[in-house]
This record gives sequence, C-alpha cells and structure tokens, in this order.
Amino acid sequence: MGDKPIGGEKRVFMTGNEVVAYGALAAGADIMYGYPITPQNEIMHYWTRMVPKYGKGFLQTEDELSAGFTTIGGVLAGKRAFTATAGPGNVLMQEPMSMAEAMRLPTVAVVQQRGGPSTATVIYSQQEVILTTMGGNGEGLRVVYSTATHQELFDYTIKAFNTAWKYRFPTFVLGDGYQAKMRESLTLYDPEDRGIEMVVPEAFVGRSGTPGVDRPPAQYRNTYSMEEELAGALAENIAAYEKAAPEISEYEEMGTQDADLVIVAHGVVSRAAKLAARDLGKEGIRVGYFRPITLRPLPVKRIRELAGGTGTFLVVESAYGQLARILMEAAFGAAVRIVPLYKPGVGVTSEEVVTRVRELVGQSL
Amino acid sequence: MTIEPVMPKCWRADTKPHKFCPGCGHGLVLKALGEAIDELDIQDRVVFGCDIGCSLLAWDFFNLDTVQTHHGRTIPVITGLKRANPGLVGVAYMGDGGGYAIGAQHLVSSAARGEKITAILVNNTQYGMTGGQMAPTTLPGQKTETSPYGRDPETTGTPTQGPEMVATITADGAYVARGTVFNVRQLKTFLKKALENQMAGRGYSFVEALSLCPTNWRTNAEETWNMVNKVMPEYFKVGELKVPAGMGGQ
Amino acid sequence: MVPVSGKEPGPIVQRIVEAYIGEYAGGKSEVALNRALELGREGRKVTLVDLDIVEPCYTLRPIKHLLEERGVCVLAWETRKTFGLGEAGTVLKADARWALRREGDVILDIGYGVEGSKTLSLVEGARTEKNLCILAVVNVSRPMTGTVDDIVEHVKGMMPVHGLVNNTHLGDETTPEVVQAGAGVVDGAARILGLPVVATTAVEEVARAIGPRDASGHPVRALTRYMPQAFW
Repeated sequence: MGDKPIGGEKRVFMTGNEVVAYGALAAGADIMYGYPITPQNEIMHYWTRMVPKYGKGFLQTEDELSAGFTTIGGVLAGKRAFTATAGPGNVLMQEPMSMAEAMRLPTVAVVQQRGGPSTATVIYSQQEVILTTMGGNGEGLRVVYSTATHQELFDYTIKAFNTAWKYRFPTFVLGDGYQAKMRESLTLYDPEDRGIEMVVPEAFVGRSGTPGVDRPPAQYRNTYSMEEELAGALAENIAAYEKAAPEISEYEEMGTQDADLVIVAHGVVSRAAKLAARDLGKEGIRVGYFRPITLRPLPVKRIRELAGGTGTFLVVESAYGQLARILMEAAFGAAVRIVPLYKPGVGVTSEEVVTRVRELVGQSL
Repeated sequence: MTIEPVMPKCWRADTKPHKFCPGCGHGLVLKALGEAIDELDIQDRVVFGCDIGCSLLAWDFFNLDTVQTHHGRTIPVITGLKRANPGLVGVAYMGDGGGYAIGAQHLVSSAARGEKITAILVNNTQYGMTGGQMAPTTLPGQKTETSPYGRDPETTGTPTQGPEMVATITADGAYVARGTVFNVRQLKTFLKKALENQMAGRGYSFVEALSLCPTNWRTNAEETWNMVNKVMPEYFKVGELKVPAGMGGQ
Repeated sequence: MVPVSGKEPGPIVQRIVEAYIGEYAGGKSEVALNRALELGREGRKVTLVDLDIVEPCYTLRPIKHLLEERGVCVLAWETRKTFGLGEAGTVLKADARWALRREGDVILDIGYGVEGSKTLSLVEGARTEKNLCILAVVNVSRPMTGTVDDIVEHVKGMMPVHGLVNNTHLGDETTPEVVQAGAGVVDGAARILGLPVVATTAVEEVARAIGPRDASGHPVRALTRYMPQAFW
C-alpha cells in the first residue's frame, strides 16, 4: 500500500466525479470495475490515475453487466469494490445489482444520472430514481443516497461503503450529470480523523482452511426450487431491511414547522428548492423545505408526519414525477395535496420554484 | 456387499446423489474436474462459479466455495474475484447458452484480456434446463423445441466453434482445448492443464466439453453415445487448440 | 491569407500565440478566454480556439457568441450544431486545425486528458510556429496539483512547457490568502522546473486586493469569470 491518500483536512476545488474517486479512496476502497459512459467517466479517469500510487485495483470491463458482476466478484473476495455508471449503463447494472440484492452483497455503485429514456442526453436528469431504487426483478432491498453538493458526494461515497458492509445491501450514491461535472469547493478528510470507523470487509469465499475439511464450504446461490423456500429467504431479507431502514434513512429540512406548503425535492434540485424557500421567507412568504437524502429507504416516518400536518407538497424534480411517486406511496392516506413542478431531463432554477410557489400562494388567498 | 464408486476427494458427499438426469454428461465433467483439483491439491483455494441452466445444479456438488449466477455472468464474477484476490483459483463453469449466446461478450472479452481464470463450457447442443431449445451449438438439421423442423443454417447459422474462436483471440500463454465425456481421462488432463495454466499465471484457460443430454435428445444409451462419439465430432473437433510454450501438448 | 512567418525583417508587432494546457478543471479556459479578451481590448486581432476534445461540458461553446460580441473571434462549435455531444465524441472543428494560419494573435484553449498537450499536434503548423508559448495553468486547490512535487510531476508529463500560470482559487470562497499561498507553491515548482511563472490570475476583486504583483513577485492578471455560464 502507498501513502495515506488524504492527510489532514484540506479545502479543495474539484469536479463531482473527482470527488467520488477521492471519496472512494478515503473510504479505503480496494478496487473499481467500470465501463465508460458519460457523465461518470472522470470517476474512472481519476481512480486509474491514483491506482499505482495507492496500490489499488481497476478493471475496465466489456459492459456494465460485467462491471456489476465483477464488482460482485470483488465483494465476494472481501474487498471494498465499487463501480460507477449512468443512464443506459444503469439499466444494464440492474441485473448484477439484483443478484447483489438476492445474495445480500455489499456492492457500491455510483450513478450519475443523465437524460432518458434510452440514449437521450449525456447531460443531466433525475430520471433514474425509480430505476435505481426499484430496478431489477426484486423488492428494492437496497440503499440509495441522493447527494446535493460536492461535500455530500464525498461524505456519502465514504458512507456508502460503510452502509453496504454493515447492513449487506447493495448501496448506491445517486448523483447526476450536473454534480458530476460542476466545480465547487469542499473539504477532503480522512474518515478516521473525524472518528468515522470504517466497517472492515470480510471475504465471502476463499477464506482460510479447506472447505469440507476445516470448515463447511461457503456456497452461494440465488436460485430456489420452491415458492416457500424463496418466500422464506425473502422474508428474512425483507425483515432485515425493514429493521435497518429507520437507522439508514436520512433527510434534511428547513422551516417545515407549521408550514402550509412544503417544497420537496432531492439531489441537486434541492439546492434550488432550498434557495427558493429562503428567498420566499425573506419576502414574508413562509414555506417549508424537505429533502429525502435516502430515496430508498425513504424517511417514511418523517414524510408521514409532514404529510399529516401540511396542506401542500410542491414536488420539484427533473423527472416526470418519479420522486412524487415514491413520496405519495409513503404519504398514502394523508390529507396532503401533491402539486407537481416536473421538468424531466432539465435543470430547475430557484426562480422557477419561487414563481410556482407565488402562483400557489396566490390561488389559496 | 456394495462397492462405493471412487469419487473425487473434493466432492460433497452429503449432497449426493447429484441432481442431474440419469445419463447426463455434467456428472462426468464435474468428476473429471474434481479429480484434477484433487491431483493438484488445490481444494483450499478453488472458487467454483456456476451458471444458470443445468450447470447451476452443480452449486453444492463440491466441497468448494461456490457462487451461482446466470446468463454467462459466472465469467465476470470469477474475473472480479480473481482480480481482487489473485491467490485464488477461479473456475467459471457454464453451458453453451451462457458462454456462446447470452453471455458471449464475457467469454470473448475475458479471453481477449487474458484473464487468469479457467472457463469450462459444457456443450450439449441445446438448452437443457429451459426445455430443449436451440442453442448456438445445435447441429444442422437437429430438432429442438425452437427448431422443430431441424436447425436450418440458412436462417440460424452454423454451430458455434467456441474453442476455435477463443484460440484465435487469446494471446500466447492461453490454454484452449475441446474435450469430450466420451474420453474422460483425456478431459481430465485438459482440465488439469487448464487449472495449472491459471496457477502459473500464463494466460486464459478454456476447455469446452462435449457432453450428453439424453433427456432432451430423447435418445437411448446407444444413440446417446453415438451422438457424442460420432455425430458431434463431425462439427466439433476434439483436442488441444492452443498450448502455451513449455507446457507440452497431449 | 498572409503567412505569418519570421521572415519579414524587424516585425513591428510580434504576434502572440499562446496555448493554455493543464490539469482537468484547472481553469485553462477561463485564463485563455480572459487573455484573449485582454488582447482584444488592446485593439489586437485575436482568435480564440477551443481545442478541448475530451470534455463535453465547460467549454467555450455555450459562450461563443458572448465572447464574439466582445471582439474576439472564437473557433468553437455551437451546441445546437453538434449532435450526440459527449456520446459521439467531440468532433474537431476543421477551422481549429488551421487556426495558426490566421492573421493576428491566436489563443489556444487545450483540453485536458492524459496527453492533453499532445492535442497541439492536431493544429497545422504548431510544431514550427516560432511564437508559440505553451503555458500550464495550475490551481493548487486541486488535489492532483496540490503540492510542489505534484505540480513538477504533472508539468514534466506535458513538456514542452514554456511557463506556468498560478490560477489557484476556491471558486466563490477565493481569498487573497488562498491565491498568495498558491503563488508560493507554483513558484516553488517553477524553480525546480526552471520555468517562469508568467502570471497569477484571480477574479478582479481578489486581484485588486493583491495588487500588481503577488507575494512571489509575479504579475497579477485580473479575471472576469465567464466559465460558470459555460456549463453544457
């Protein structure tokens, strides 16, 4: 192993993709497997540049299926393994991540969302929310962190490894093309210096001793013969997920106390939502701001509390209601009215949010 | 008095009898593999990856650490594992559908990259587990559930020449062979060399095994042996296709 | 077209040909375009060339018209005239290849990449252009170029380089102290490399606070930030 990658706290100016590479390095990630796709490429570019210096591994695979399955192989070997993808690559990534879900494998995948469906744009969107939270032929037993700033990209890349290895569910960091390419300052740190204890990975296969002689063989499958057999395995995984969900779920809020209107957004769009809430507050229009940080599991308890006490959720997203859909499911039965501000595949400015809120406030007067 | 058949040391007795059909070739391929592992004394470091299709029935066949996946993804799983822990000996075991159709990109790319793994592909000329559909290896004129009038090369192509392809795209140092369950001793030699080649770190190792599927072929014992011994070799030439320098051919 | 060669005796005004190279997101485009605008303000004929063939965003493309309104000829694509940007690859604009055949000053904004400076090979006449000055732009707040050793290693990998530009900043958080500290580090690297530091660059407010020369004695160039508008 080389030098410690990040010594002391350092204020730096970086692009989002670089931040992810440094976050993985700070987290002690061992190996990355990836396939080129815009806008995540610089994660690989920077990781590969740092590989020899810090004794890390990298494999450029033939596609995202392979990137996901080789990541699974790395995890089975007991390494902090990760991958990164976007758009059509994320579609392919769902197959290996379904297997990770089935076998409770702590994979880490960073998704930099781009416009969809299909090839669309390489630029930006929030259209991979449903895909990333619920993709695959399963129950969505996974963790998805939606980041809003470069600092969070760093923080949650580190956290993703710990969440994955602690709870053994595939974990995603959901960014987007803007965050990937944007430049802003943040503080790099060594998690140890901040008292963050990194969960130590353990090998699933290839441990010491001869299988069948010194220990039972470690044999993993995702095939079941009987409905009941599968149901039993699922029930166990679902119970573990439900138990972990309240510990994992995170959110951010501002001025939601007694607010009649709460702007709900996630990821980079929440920056516009937050700014809008602040600006409106300055001119005397009181609105709340709420942002789920984990899109899976959602902070259901808090969403239900707000949905019970607030008249309107203004849901702002760069997608056609993907956040709203999971939000409504969580809030089902509550009296709250859901008002959309959907801009699929396009960025949202705080001015647009302010305008929409003014319209809504005007209507209710 | 019953005489127990001699079985490889690394096989897992408590999961026997195995789950394959009577007359299936998988048991023979796996037995040859098990013996090769025994002879090399590497039971403590082999990780066995199997695929969907009938190969998945091997998931608890051995006292070996095992991971089962699907669609030829056993190759990337074993590749990722081997890259992360080069001290292990990775075996990716799959059928002709997984390796030559749905997961063909993994076979091609892992071979081209010279991954230090051993890929074993069982060729029984059709998809056994999904009910006998046409495979890339189905012979011209052969009837399957999706080629009910016999495979027509005009519209569906000719049988995939897997080892020939792998031999062409791999660098020196690769070991490529086609064995057959008709000659288990030779098959074991091929498998052993494929494992040794990985352990020596020379390059990619690939063995295709011509195998039997009496259930889907709807053949009796005699017809089954005729198929693997006479008919299949007309299309699939048995032998070593690529042997690294210094290893010595068969 | 008048070929600009060194043959004419005693040229009154030497033309300026500068290529800005360096680490990803180090500020090459901002420094290059500000340099082009500065020369334009002096009444010189200036061509600014986008030679970024790796990165599809934060290029001169989106602000091409804005810069042209300010008197600089910009050789860059317009986004709407491209297709599948970032997916199909960045197509080299034919005009860019012949940029050095143009009259007047030429400022080349070279993209990043492992061998980013090699992009110059795509420009006809770059190897024989006697006025060509290749400047490496360095932001010490970027971890890849955060120390003297990192910068030395980085610049050595891009040779030939004729000088360094200290463009240390932290975006909106930039202070004179940040820039001055960067100047010291870049200066240290320049000494090892045996290269001059041709300028320290900073946004106007910070540049004003520092004065005409930074703590290491290098001239300070004030920048107006255009690139935040150039996102995609």
